[in-house]
Amino acid sequence: MKTRVRLPRLLACGATVALALSLTACGNGDGGGSSGDGKIHVLVYGDASNKVEKQIVDKFNKTSDVKAVLDTIPGADYQQKLQTIINTPQAPDVFFNWGGGSIQPFVKADLLMPLDDFIEKDPGLKANFLPSVVSSAVVDGKTYGVPMRGTQPILLFHNREVLDKAGVKPPKTWDELLDAVKKLKDEGVTPIALGAGDRWPTMMWFEYLYDRVAGPELFQKALKGDKDAWASADSKKALTMLKQLVDAGAFGKNYDSVKYTNGSSPALLASGKAGFELMGSWYYAQQQEDAKEFAETSLGYTAFPTVQGGKGDPTNVVGNTNNFYSVLKKTKHPEAVAEFLKLMYSDEFVKAQLAIGNLPTTTNTRKFLDTAADPEYSRFQYDLVAKAPAFQLSWDQAYPPSAMTPIHQAVQQFFSGQIDADGFIKAMQALPTE
Amino acid sequence: MSRGTRSRPNYLAGAGSLVWLFLVGLPLYVMLAATVRTRSDYAEHGPLSFPESFTLDNYTSAFDSGFGRYFVNTLVVTACVIGIVLLLVPPLAYAIVRNRSRVTSHVFRLFLLGLAIPAQAVIVPMFYLISEAGLYDNLLGVILPTAAFCLPMSALILSGAMRDISPELFEAMAMDGATPRRMFFQLVLPLSRGGLSTIVVFSALQAWNGFLFPLVLTQSDSTKVVTLGLYNFQTEHGIDIPGLLGAVVLSMVPVLLVYLFARRALVQGLMGVGGK
Amino acid sequence: MNRMTTQITSAPVAAEPRKVARRRPEASSAARVGRPGFLWALPATVFFVLFAIAPLIMVAVLSFMSWNGLGSPEFVGLDNWSRLADDPVMLKSIWLTLLLTALGVVIQTPLSIVLGVWAAGHQRNRAVLSVVYFIPLLLSATAVSVLWRALLDPNFGIPARATWLFGDGNLFGGQATAIGVLAFVSTWQFTPFHTLIYQGAARAIPQVLYQAAEIDGAGRYRQFFHITLPQLRNSVITSMILMIVGGLTTFETVLILTQGGPGTDTTISAYYMYQKAFKGFDFGAGAAIALALVIAATIVSLIVVRVSGYDKMRSDMEGVS
Repeated sequence: MKTRVRLPRLLACGATVALALSLTACGNGDGGGSSGDGKIHVLVYGDASNKVEKQIVDKFNKTSDVKAVLDTIPGADYQQKLQTIINTPQAPDVFFNWGGGSIQPFVKADLLMPLDDFIEKDPGLKANFLPSVVSSAVVDGKTYGVPMRGTQPILLFHNREVLDKAGVKPPKTWDELLDAVKKLKDEGVTPIALGAGDRWPTMMWFEYLYDRVAGPELFQKALKGDKDAWASADSKKALTMLKQLVDAGAFGKNYDSVKYTNGSSPALLASGKAGFELMGSWYYAQQQEDAKEFAETSLGYTAFPTVQGGKGDPTNVVGNTNNFYSVLKKTKHPEAVAEFLKLMYSDEFVKAQLAIGNLPTTTNTRKFLDTAADPEYSRFQYDLVAKAPAFQLSWDQAYPPSAMTPIHQAVQQFFSGQIDADGFIKAMQALPTE
Repeated sequence: MSRGTRSRPNYLAGAGSLVWLFLVGLPLYVMLAATVRTRSDYAEHGPLSFPESFTLDNYTSAFDSGFGRYFVNTLVVTACVIGIVLLLVPPLAYAIVRNRSRVTSHVFRLFLLGLAIPAQAVIVPMFYLISEAGLYDNLLGVILPTAAFCLPMSALILSGAMRDISPELFEAMAMDGATPRRMFFQLVLPLSRGGLSTIVVFSALQAWNGFLFPLVLTQSDSTKVVTLGLYNFQTEHGIDIPGLLGAVVLSMVPVLLVYLFARRALVQGLMGVGGK
Repeated sequence: MNRMTTQITSAPVAAEPRKVARRRPEASSAARVGRPGFLWALPATVFFVLFAIAPLIMVAVLSFMSWNGLGSPEFVGLDNWSRLADDPVMLKSIWLTLLLTALGVVIQTPLSIVLGVWAAGHQRNRAVLSVVYFIPLLLSATAVSVLWRALLDPNFGIPARATWLFGDGNLFGGQATAIGVLAFVSTWQFTPFHTLIYQGAARAIPQVLYQAAEIDGAGRYRQFFHITLPQLRNSVITSMILMIVGGLTTFETVLILTQGGPGTDTTISAYYMYQKAFKGFDFGAGAAIALALVIAATIVSLIVVRVSGYDKMRSDMEGVS
């Protein structure tokens, strides 16, 4: 009996000692979260832009008594993880987001601080940014975000060499695009590269066509819960035109198996196997990394073609309007946070963003465009965004997060012919709008 | 059959194994080939082509992006997980095999149920548990759940191995008046070495490749493990497949080394899983 | 599991002391000389309950609640469950899960038996080859999926070089081919593990059985079907249970290869749970799916164990299972 009890106890003691040892050995984490360590925690999407954010945090810490700490979450899981921690003691004080639907649930749960008081004290927090951008972070009439990083409009990229060979000019109108598709097909190349395996690249075609055909109002109505918007004549017209494009073989036959995120669709364009690709402005830097020679000699870019008789302004753009910093209501250092946010329109911030290829949307950006990594490209985008009467945020970001999967599924199914226009309309009508 | 007919080579099985070798070898070749070429070479010529360029940049850039630190973290996690598994599982398996009480067989069934729990099913409560314990963003917060999810399989493997110990040996020792403790140390542990090394390899693989727990339970760079580093590498460098695969190859090397040295023990231990 | 207990009592080894033990499981000492007490199992059990069973119970509770991760959870009774029962995607996902699991078992079992038995031979080349075979096991599911997605690219991968086989290479554009790819990639990744199980088991088959068969003039294939396969029976069952449980919980492969597409054509239950919980932030519904999965995996494993009479075999040997 004695011995039988002693050994487990010994093992238990051993286990405790081992745990204690591993505690000291492993307990070297920084212990994220804002719970009263007297610092501002800034949480951002982990990617190549982090070095600028680090630089700004360092600059802030030089003058501020309350210090800031930068935390990052690896890209693809950012939104999930944010939602997991935002209502716990681990929540940050300030966090990165895409505005629109991405912060709506947090506003509803009363977690975010309206920034209108900050703006009243320092009007620059609003006035120093392009108006079409700031509006993306307005929920129920209150501003919840200050723009950071940059804008990422969606552009139509092309391979100049392939187009020349087929005798095609970059299309200004939808009809010219259809014509180009035909000529490129005759040349034996895939007219338009599409990474439909990722699904959101397909969605970009919907976003632009709906905007051109019906204007931004249709989507805004739908977003507010007006289900008839999707069944309207304009909606059906846009769908008919998309179907026409797909049926014309514009995207080839195997687009469902092509991905953007593994470099496959950009490679189609770079290797001359495709003529066009519709993608966010980051595409330019992407091609420069992957296919330097192609990017320097024959990568071209234009705005999305206009649609004759369409209700939307032909200079409208869609894409990622901007990224934003939002502030949690329970932050213990609102004054310090306000000071931190002011840096988002500072000259240093703008120059640092331009240098890594981002395009900030501050009013002083124009002054520094010459210092950008590629001045011509940055100027093209800046003018496009500054002149656009409306900048439609990507659909999957404008809707609340729970709508993202259904949207992605619907656009994919429509392109691959699994559902028709009515099926698509039904799917969109079933989206949660809240 | 393999040993029964040594004289005649088995062409059918041999051919089948060559097909399989091709299926395994081709992706591995593509992976290694991709890691020694430049990004533009890969993008222009595709994964199957022979590299036209040679570079070790993919490895150095992977290493420069902080993988040294991540390796240390992963090593700490792996070592601690192995430690916990080795402390807890042998007594457990010993009790499962030798204790006759109903409680123990219920416990064993509880662990079998554990085999069917996917980690992602419990990840939300796990976050609260770890966060309440003050272990969020601490390697210990990754170690504990990872070790817990290694237990069912390890218990199954090790109790299988211990069952193979002949009952006569226990009886003989009992005749000599040996206590359960003495039997454990002098009979059970030495005779289940195969099973022990299997659970070490198994837990090491689990800890080394673990992804979900570190993703949800840590946050800062100082607690990042290799798998998360890989994931981050992908988002930070856009769609740099050669760089990503370089990081993958780097992350494989230590496990491969361990496997090469422990292979014999592993195969022997797996007889325990097979129930002999 | 009553059957097990009966088996134990009728087991050949020392039945008498065991009866005593059952009546007084913890305390008796004299009657069970040399048997460890339950305390030996205690540390592991407590640890496991704390970090695996407790969260599972919390998931069970959560499945009766509505929660988006932000406010406090609200009790909604059977709401999540009844919504899932009416959800066509959920029903489809169950069917897809079963199909993929079955495919995994049907493809991987014969393959790994043949490979395992072959690799159990003592020739040197086999030992070297089995090192290569093992490598896929070292790759994380993420790496495996990224690798195969690149290899199966319709314009730059294998399909472009073998159009006679793949046509336009649109493997991810149709349900049948997408499921085929998933089954293939799982096979590629997990066959090595099962091969190892069979290799170990095949080596443990007593050599005398083969010698006797050879004297009787049995050929290679008769030996395989009459000696090797029956002797591998326990391994087949173990490996099948692991395949089934693994198949039911497959996740990363789908996440990276197909994202459940085209449409919802490869949305298996484990992935649907992830979509509900972490993309749609409907944690209640996610918890319900998770729990359903755990229950399904347990039931299927139990059925396999029962049908095969595996529990009998185990308890005929020394010890309870």
